[in-house]
Amino acid sequence: MKKLSPKDMINAFLLFFVIHSTQVGVGIHGFQRIVYQDAKHDAWISVLLIGVVSHIIVIFMIKTLEMYDSNDLYGIHQDVFGKWVGNLLNIIYILYCSTAFFSVLRNYIEVIHAWIFPNLSTWFLSASLLLVVIYAFTGGLRLMVGISFFSIILSVWLIPMLIFPFKFSISSSIFPILETNIIPILKGAYSMTFTIIGFELLNIIYPFIKDKENVKKHVHLGLLATTVLYLSIMLVSLTYFSGGELAKTIWATLTLFSIVRFPFIERFEFIAICYWMLIILPNLCLYMWAAYRGFSRLVNISAKKFIWIFSVIIFIFSIAVQTRTQINMINNQFAKVAFYIVFVYPIFLYVVAALKKKFTSQKEQKE
Amino acid sequence: MFNNKFKLSLSKKKSKVEREDEGKEQNVNMIPQGKNSFIQAIKDAVNNTADLIVKSIPPNLTLIYIENLVDDRTLNDHIINDLYKKPNESPELIKSLLSVPSLKMSNLLDDAVSSMVTGTVLIHVEGYSEVVLANIAARESRGLSAPENESQVIGSQVGFNESLATNVSLIRRYIVSPDLCNEKIKVGKRTNTTVSLMFIKGIASEDMVNTLRQRITGIDIDALIDSAVLAEMIDDNSLSIFPQLLLTERPDRFCDSLLNGKLGVLVDGSSMAIICPQSFIEFFQSREDQNLRWQIATFLRLLRFSAVFLSIFFTPLYVAALTFHYEVIPQAFLVPLSESRALVPFPPIFEALLLEIIIELLREAGARLPTKIGQTIGIVGGIVIGTAAVQAGITSNVLIIIIALSALASFTTPSYMMGNVIRVIRFPIIILAGFWGFYGIMLAFCFMLIHLLRQSSLGTPYMSPFYPPRLKDWRDSIIRLPIPFTAKRPTSTRAEDHEKFNPEPVNPEKS
Repeated sequence: MKKLSPKDMINAFLLFFVIHSTQVGVGIHGFQRIVYQDAKHDAWISVLLIGVVSHIIVIFMIKTLEMYDSNDLYGIHQDVFGKWVGNLLNIIYILYCSTAFFSVLRNYIEVIHAWIFPNLSTWFLSASLLLVVIYAFTGGLRLMVGISFFSIILSVWLIPMLIFPFKFSISSSIFPILETNIIPILKGAYSMTFTIIGFELLNIIYPFIKDKENVKKHVHLGLLATTVLYLSIMLVSLTYFSGGELAKTIWATLTLFSIVRFPFIERFEFIAICYWMLIILPNLCLYMWAAYRGFSRLVNISAKKFIWIFSVIIFIFSIAVQTRTQINMINNQFAKVAFYIVFVYPIFLYVVAALKKKFTSQKEQKE
Repeated sequence: MFNNKFKLSLSKKKSKVEREDEGKEQNVNMIPQGKNSFIQAIKDAVNNTADLIVKSIPPNLTLIYIENLVDDRTLNDHIINDLYKKPNESPELIKSLLSVPSLKMSNLLDDAVSSMVTGTVLIHVEGYSEVVLANIAARESRGLSAPENESQVIGSQVGFNESLATNVSLIRRYIVSPDLCNEKIKVGKRTNTTVSLMFIKGIASEDMVNTLRQRITGIDIDALIDSAVLAEMIDDNSLSIFPQLLLTERPDRFCDSLLNGKLGVLVDGSSMAIICPQSFIEFFQSREDQNLRWQIATFLRLLRFSAVFLSIFFTPLYVAALTFHYEVIPQAFLVPLSESRALVPFPPIFEALLLEIIIELLREAGARLPTKIGQTIGIVGGIVIGTAAVQAGITSNVLIIIIALSALASFTTPSYMMGNVIRVIRFPIIILAGFWGFYGIMLAFCFMLIHLLRQSSLGTPYMSPFYPPRLKDWRDSIIRLPIPFTAKRPTSTRAEDHEKFNPEPVNPEKS
């Protein structure tokens, strides 16, 4: 593996932005309904719960990564499971990243179709977004982290827009608390998976961090910011919509935006949805980059070649998937797999890696 | 220190020349001893040019110079007079006799000719193969005047002019310090233009100085007429629409930048100086901000920055909203808007492009016309065309207001080069907005953001101090905090001395 030059390294401080921006993407548009289906008006507890779980998972992730100081997940796989099994796992992870990329892209296109341009062709939207991502990708990791940074800094102003629906909200609708059973709440948390994933990219970006001792702090802060954001959106949605309404609203967050009105602007969601391009951009860039990091380990390929092949494949898939049901199916299946990859697998990997380390150190001692 | 540097760079140059000469030794021409052969040799060397003056002083002296390049009064008072008094001397004695500050001896013909074309009188004594080179170059330059393109209300009102010597002296008057280094580099195979690389030793980063020096000496070009050309050639990415080096005609801004650890480049014959490294945000800062109270400076900077956004995105937003997204316009506003557009036969994109081009035409005409006519044309053109266009039903009133506003806003950028970029960058965005509405605008915005993030200026990030984030430098970015808070030099210059001053004892009376 090539040594990383200091020019590619980034400050741990920026991890806050990376983690937060990769978590927030297209899931936020309509996670309320999915969680509400299971957890009813206690959905906010599910959000809180999955937020806490993500913190715990990250602790395991960082512990695993700390064992291998400057190696990413792909390297750890190869080291822990040997070449063949490791590479197999790497391929799964690359596929996972690619699917995540595809899912973000296709969902965003779907939102644009549903809300703004019903007749704009999918291939144009897909191609234009891919071109932006390619342009960003060829600039290197630092640039993509820069996009994460700006994507958050320049979108902070969207959060105060929640005040508009908040004015119409009735707080009594979340009471009594804990009316739902524990199992539906857990189910609700489980269905948050698609919305909250993104922080697993830490596995890949970790070797590029300059001051590794600060990683924990900033990653957790990033997770916290996401949890607080989701929680506040969830609370506003629960209090603004009536129960039956929320169960029918597919993109609840966008519906919340649609009541924002200024003297000079109405139907704010038109602006918000287009502005969302900036918010999904880091998602797309970093997932693509993560896939590239894995792929370059398997096959000796230049970044330029990879990105064109990758984009063409994604492009073909994005045209092939046409209907809302297909997209939903992909989302659901992806979320299922993602739950295991993001929330279960890191603990397993940590245990295996720790055991292996123990054995090898014992062996060395014996020798 | 300055002299040492200068000599060093000169001696480097010389050694290079000598090495080249070793290769082709037979080509070196010595100065002939005989008077007539000397005159003939010089005449041949300058292709018998009409302004070559040959003056003989009996019994054995010959003066050769190029008319108008030398200062006539000095020539008469200090050279010809003195030589008449004491003829029959050897070159060494003449050299010690003359009261001209810059005197040299040489026995090489090329050397003599090349210094003659910069304003030197050659004094040849018959029988000697050495000439005295007395440099009495006439400095033709216009007087100092106020900077035309970067005017400011409060602050010094002097700008650079076309003479390198004047410009350097202006800078040395601001920064009275032996640490102010000035390296001279010749650029241009045919024009032999002097380029001055200026920086403050102990503040400017050595690495950067080396990089810049390498870039300048590495240029292979035949002519260098203006510093803007040089700026384009030493840019990090000359394909980008955004300038990466600042061109300024203000000596105070130049010195301010040097004191922040930046490097400056002056070109002989050009009234614009180059400053680098320069970040994107610094193009929207004016020197005047330092002269105003910090609250006012902050307000003006915020105003300028929002003006940039306004001027880039206002027209596209209008086009997008009227073409695709009627819904975003509030009802109360929709009625007057559609009324004003009721007569317009064109789609909004066409209407907007038409008006933008008219405005650009007016602006370009205003820049090219003589000043006296220019103003009249501006007013007449603006009012007549504007009013008539609305009455003829070609455009709507609202669009005229929007376009005039965005044109006005684009003038607030203190750097003319950056102002031009803002002016041009609108067009692709209007077209995208006309085709794909807000989505098109956002595409353009993302592309622009990525593009800006990709750029660098002399190796430092272009978006600094925002990305990579250097929170301390934000104090002097789109806002300006009081001077005690900005005691540190910007990180992007990688200054060797980080602190400008000790921020503690600002006001001794208070303590």
